Amino acid sequence: MADKTVTVKATRYDPQHDEKPRLQSYEIPFYDESMVVLDALNYIKSHVDGSLSYRWSCRMGICGSCGMMVNGVPKLTCNAFLRDYWPRPVVVEPLNNFPIIRDLVIDMDDFMHKLKAIKPWIIRKQEIPLGAGAHPQTNQQIDDFSQFSQCINCMLCYAACPVYGLNNEFLGPAATALARRYNLDSRDEGLKVRLPVIAEAEGVWECSFVGECSVVCPKGVDPAKAIQQTKLDTTLRFVLPYGSRE
Amino acid sequence: MPANWWTRNRHYFNYMLREFSSVPMALWMLWLLVEIQRAGGPAPRYHAHGSPAFIAFSVIVLLFSLYHSVTFLSLAGTILRLKVFDRPVPPRLIVLAMFGMWLVASVVVAFVLVWFAR
Repeated sequence: MADKTVTVKATRYDPQHDEKPRLQSYEIPFYDESMVVLDALNYIKSHVDGSLSYRWSCRMGICGSCGMMVNGVPKLTCNAFLRDYWPRPVVVEPLNNFPIIRDLVIDMDDFMHKLKAIKPWIIRKQEIPLGAGAHPQTNQQIDDFSQFSQCINCMLCYAACPVYGLNNEFLGPAATALARRYNLDSRDEGLKVRLPVIAEAEGVWECSFVGECSVVCPKGVDPAKAIQQTKLDTTLRFVLPYGSRE
Repeated sequence: MPANWWTRNRHYFNYMLREFSSVPMALWMLWLLVEIQRAGGPAPRYHAHGSPAFIAFSVIVLLFSLYHSVTFLSLAGTILRLKVFDRPVPPRLIVLAMFGMWLVASVVVAFVLVWFAR
């Protein structure tokens, strides 16, 4: 068991010295069946090559930092077990569809701008004072939006989305899912504030329903559903009499 | 984004097939519109197409249209969000209802075609 090894091929890219990204191969000990790809990267960083750059934080599928392409599929590396790939080599690359800053680190500025644009917080026309007490919701009201609130902004859905890959003006899956989360919240009154972003041509209408965003989501969120339902809702608002009411 | 991105996995390929299926269907419908226009004109201009090549093309179009319809209707449960008595309708029931309506519509269209062809 102690002699078992796994080959990890990781993207290396230093924009000051490299023209384009390249794969570097590392042979590391596979000493524990519970090892995940992130453990392998940490082993490389600690014992083989300290210059390898990548993002990670919680190591338990909550923070959404360690998303990378593992053998061509967007995955949280803390949730991708080496045993599922061994004895094949594990190829770790930065998330598709994003510019690379260095090695496995992507530039997430575009997503952060989109996230901010949909105003992912509860908007009230008039704030209820704290002294007024709790704002209770029924279980049904919570069920309406709860699955969309599970999004951890890991951006795997953007890496899986060919529409975003072809046109990065597209608002994209996670931002739309979060917009839907707040639009469906009975406490929120910000639909009209978000509509100019989500209902424009490069909002939900750019999506052609590939559906891969929902397949790769590690938290079981269904962004494709959020996008298609938003398309239907915005159409009904336009078509139906009184459809644009609050 | 490489041009062959849709060959990377099965989901992408199936999506591309679903979208591409519209092309042969559009061609067949275009032919139908031309035939309808010809049928309204002088009789010698109209020729019923019974060649093996056209029948083969029609069978291929039928397969594409069935694939398109099945994949499209199967997604209805994801797209539609219906509530009855303030309770959400299960997506599976919505999909079942869609296939039921498709069956009814097909029977009605078949009945009308057979009725006028008599």
